[in-house]
Amino acid sequence: MRPSFFHHLHPPTIPASQSRFRYTLGAGGYSVFLTLVLLVSGALLMFYYVPTPAEAGPSIQMITFLVPFGALVRNLHYWSAQILVVVAAIHMLRVIFTGAYNSPRRFNYLLGLSLFVLALFLDFTGYVLRWDEGVRWALVAGTNLVDSIPWIGPGLYRLVMGASQPGPAALTRFYTWHIFGLVVLLLGVGVWHIFRVRRDGGIAVPPPEQRSTPQRISRFELVRREGLAALIGTAVLLLVSAFIPAPLAPPMSEVTSQAADSSAPWFFLWVQQLLKSGDAFWMGVFVPLVVLAVLGAIPYLLPAVKPDELGRWFPRSGRPAQVLALILVLAVLGLTLAAALAPPA
Amino acid sequence: MKIRLFAGTLFLLVVLVAVAWQAARQPRPVALTPTISGKEEYCLTCHADLPEISASHPVESFGCVLCHGGERLALDADLAHSTMRGGSNPSDLAVAGLSCGGSDCHSGSPELQRDHVGRVLTSIQTTYAGAIASLRFSFGAQDSLAARQAIAPVQALHPPAGNQDQRPQYLEAFDPAAESNPFLQSFGENCLNCHLRAEALPGNEYARFTGCAACHPPTAGSDLSEPDRQPVHQLTTAIPYTQCNACHNRGNYDLRTMSFVPRPDAPADRLHDYYQPITQFTRCEYELDCLDCHTRTEAMGDGYLYNDQQEQQYVQCKTCHGTLTEPPLTRTIRNEADLALRLAYLNPDVPLQIGDTIVVTDKGEPMWNLRQLTDGSFEMVTKVTHVRYPLPLVQGSACTQKPEEQESRYCHACHAVER
Amino acid sequence: MPATLSNAKTPSLPRRDFLTLAWKSLLAISGALSFAGMLRFLSHEPYPSPVTKFDLGLADDFPPGTVARIPEASAIVLHGEQGLVAYSLVCPHLGCTVESQKDGFECPCHGSRFDAQGSLVRGPASQGLRILKLEVDQAGHLILDTAA
Repeated sequence: MRPSFFHHLHPPTIPASQSRFRYTLGAGGYSVFLTLVLLVSGALLMFYYVPTPAEAGPSIQMITFLVPFGALVRNLHYWSAQILVVVAAIHMLRVIFTGAYNSPRRFNYLLGLSLFVLALFLDFTGYVLRWDEGVRWALVAGTNLVDSIPWIGPGLYRLVMGASQPGPAALTRFYTWHIFGLVVLLLGVGVWHIFRVRRDGGIAVPPPEQRSTPQRISRFELVRREGLAALIGTAVLLLVSAFIPAPLAPPMSEVTSQAADSSAPWFFLWVQQLLKSGDAFWMGVFVPLVVLAVLGAIPYLLPAVKPDELGRWFPRSGRPAQVLALILVLAVLGLTLAAALAPPA
Repeated sequence: MKIRLFAGTLFLLVVLVAVAWQAARQPRPVALTPTISGKEEYCLTCHADLPEISASHPVESFGCVLCHGGERLALDADLAHSTMRGGSNPSDLAVAGLSCGGSDCHSGSPELQRDHVGRVLTSIQTTYAGAIASLRFSFGAQDSLAARQAIAPVQALHPPAGNQDQRPQYLEAFDPAAESNPFLQSFGENCLNCHLRAEALPGNEYARFTGCAACHPPTAGSDLSEPDRQPVHQLTTAIPYTQCNACHNRGNYDLRTMSFVPRPDAPADRLHDYYQPITQFTRCEYELDCLDCHTRTEAMGDGYLYNDQQEQQYVQCKTCHGTLTEPPLTRTIRNEADLALRLAYLNPDVPLQIGDTIVVTDKGEPMWNLRQLTDGSFEMVTKVTHVRYPLPLVQGSACTQKPEEQESRYCHACHAVER
Repeated sequence: MPATLSNAKTPSLPRRDFLTLAWKSLLAISGALSFAGMLRFLSHEPYPSPVTKFDLGLADDFPPGTVARIPEASAIVLHGEQGLVAYSLVCPHLGCTVESQKDGFECPCHGSRFDAQGSLVRGPASQGLRILKLEVDQAGHLILDTAA
C-alpha cells in the first residue's frame, strides 16, 4: 500500500491509553468531523445564497422555507459552527489540563490556538452573512472595534469593510473571507495541525508505567472508533438541526429599526459585557488580545510539566497553567452569563 | 465493537426517518406571482381560505405583499408577519401612503380624483378639527372657533379658493399635554376615539379598523351582540350604514366629566332606536344608507381643510329633491372618463352608461345612483341594498316652504318622522 | 552567470553571507511591496459613499419645542432655547443607534446614557452625542450634514 496522508494520520498501531475517549474526549476528532460537515453544508448553501444586501435575506428565506431540506442544510451549517466553537474550546482545555502542550508539542499548540481564532472569525463572518436585523448591531459594533485601534484602526476598517460604513461592499468582503479566505487558512493550518500530531509522536506521551510495553490498538480499530463517533455525531447533529431552527430575522432595513437585536453573537457576549464597562479599544480589542496572548504563552512561559506526570489528567506540575486556564474560562463564562441575563435595554 | 457499530447505524437510520417525518410535516409551499410585482410570494400557503379582497384588487394581479408588506418568502408566521405594514391593517393612515398609495394607485392624479390617500388626510373624519377647535374655544385655549389643530399636523392640498375662503391652510398637532386646562387634557385622553387614526373602542358595536379600513371593509354581521364581530377581509364602496355606526350614533360625550358615555342599548330597529332622542329625521334618512346621499368627498375629504363637520358636509334635501323653483342639478355623461361611470362600475347594480343624465351636487359631484329616466322623472338605486326608488321632486308639489329657507332643518319641520 | 561561477571557485565566506543576506532582503522587499500592493488593491471603495446631507424641508416647520427624529440620518433635531440643534443618534462608543428614553437616550448595545441635550450621563461612552451641522439654505430649507 502506498503511504498516504490518511496513513500518516493512522499509523499501524497507536497506544491504547492515549486513544481512549476518557483521555481525548474525542474533541479533536469531532472538530475535524464538524469542519467536514461545515464544508459540505456550506458548499450546498452557496448554490442558493446571494451576497447582496437586497438578496441576502430573500435567498436565505428561500433556502429555509422553499428549498427541499434547505432548512436542514442551513441548520446543520449553523449548529455545526456553534458546536465547533464549544468542541474546539474543550479540545484546548483538554490539552492544557493534561499538559499535552509540553515540548515538542508547543508549536502545534499555537497552531491549534490560531485554528480556534480562525473558527471564531468564520463564525462571525458567517453570522454577518444573514444580513438581517438580528446582526445589525453586532456588525456595527464589531467592525467599529477595528476602527478603534490606534493608528492603524481607521485604515484597517476601510480595508475590511470596503467603505466608510456597513453596506454592499462589506457584505461582499465578508462573503469572500467566509467562503474562501478564512476557509483556505483554516484548511491549511488545520492540515498542518493534524500532520504535526503524528510528527510530534502521537496525541500525547502515555503514562510512565505504559511507556515500555504499552497496550496498543490497531489502525483498523482506530478507524472503527472514528466511524462510530462520526455515526453518533451525524445522528445527533441531524436531530438538533431538524428540530431547532437557526435564528433568522427580517432583512436589514435601510433605516435603523427598533426590531434590531442588540446582543452580540453568543461567542462574543463576553466581549460585549466587557465593553459595557469601558473604552472600545481597551475592552473590546486589547483585553481579548491579552487573553489570547496569555493562552499562547502557557507552553513557553510557564514551567514544563514533569515527564513522569504526562499522559494523565491534571498533572501536579502543570497546576499554574491549569489554574490560569480555569480562571480565564470562568471569567469568560461569567461575563457571557452576565450579558445573557442582562435585561434588554 | 460490531454491536456498537450496529447500534450506531440503527440510531442514524432512526434519526433520518425522524428528519424525513419532520420534513413531510411541513406545509407544501403555495406560490403566487402577482402580475403587478412579478415577485413570487407564498402567503397563500397559510392564507388560502381568505376571500378575494375585492373585484378591483384580484389576488392574481396584486397578491398580498403589495398592500400588506411582510416577508414574501417566509413560511414561519412570526418572520413572515414581522415586516407587515400597519400590522394587520395596511390602510392605517401611518402607512396608507405606502400600502394604498403610489402614483398608479390611490395617490394618483388629483384631476381624476385618484388622490384618495392625500385627500383623506384632510378630511374632518381624520383631522377631528371641529371638535378640537370648539373644545379649545370653550375652555379659552383659543379665541375663535376657527380650526387650528388636528389629530396630526396636516397641510391643505389646494390653495384658498378666494379671498373669502375661511378654511385653514395648515393644522398643527393637538397636544393634550401642552394644554394648561385640565378639561382639555382629559378631552385629549378620553374623547379622541372616533377619528380615522384612533383605535376603535373595545366592544363589538365599535368594531372597525383604522384608516381606509375603518369604512371600506364591512364589519361582519349586523348583530351587535355577536361575539368576535370583526371587519372582514373585503373592500367595498357599498358601505352599509352599520359601518358608519361604528363611530356615529354610538353615544355622547359628557362635557362635565370629559368622558364618553356609550349608549346603553343595541340599536336594532332603525326607525325607533337608531337616532339619538332629539334628532329630527325623515324617511329617507332611516331607509337609505348614509352614502346613498352623502358623497365621497364629504366623508373622505376633497383636499381642503375644513373648520368643522358642518362646513364639509354640504348635501341637503334639496341636493336631490330640488326646490320649488328648480329641479336638482343634472349632468349628462359624455365620455368614458366621467367619474360617475368609474364609480358606478364598482357597483354593477347601477346600469349607468354614456348618454345618461344624473343628478350632481352644487359642487359638481356626481350622484351617480340618481338617474333621469326617459319620461323625465328620476330614479334612485340604493348602493348597498339595490332597491329602486322613484325620486319625488319639490317642484310641482304642495310644499309651502319659503324660498330663503332651503336647509334640511326647515324640511324636517314638516317631514320629520314621528317615533 | 560567469560572476557566480567565479564566486564558487574562490569561496569567500563573508561575501557569500553578504549575498545570502542580499537575496533574502531583496525577496523580503519584494514581498513587502507585493503586500502593500495587495492592500492598495483592497483599499478601493466600490460603492459611492452614502449621502451625508439631508434636506429636512422648510425650517419654519420646526417651531420652538420641536423634537424631530430624522431616521434616515440617525439624527434628532431639537428646537430649544438655544435655537435649532441637531444631534447624531449614533453612539460615540461603538456606533449603535441610541434609543429614546423618558429623560434622554440609552444605547441598546452597551448601555451608555445621554440626557435630553445629548450630554453624557453614564459610560462606557466617553463623550456626549455628536452635534451635527445644521444650516438653512436660500430656499429656507433646513440642511442637516452628518459628516461635519
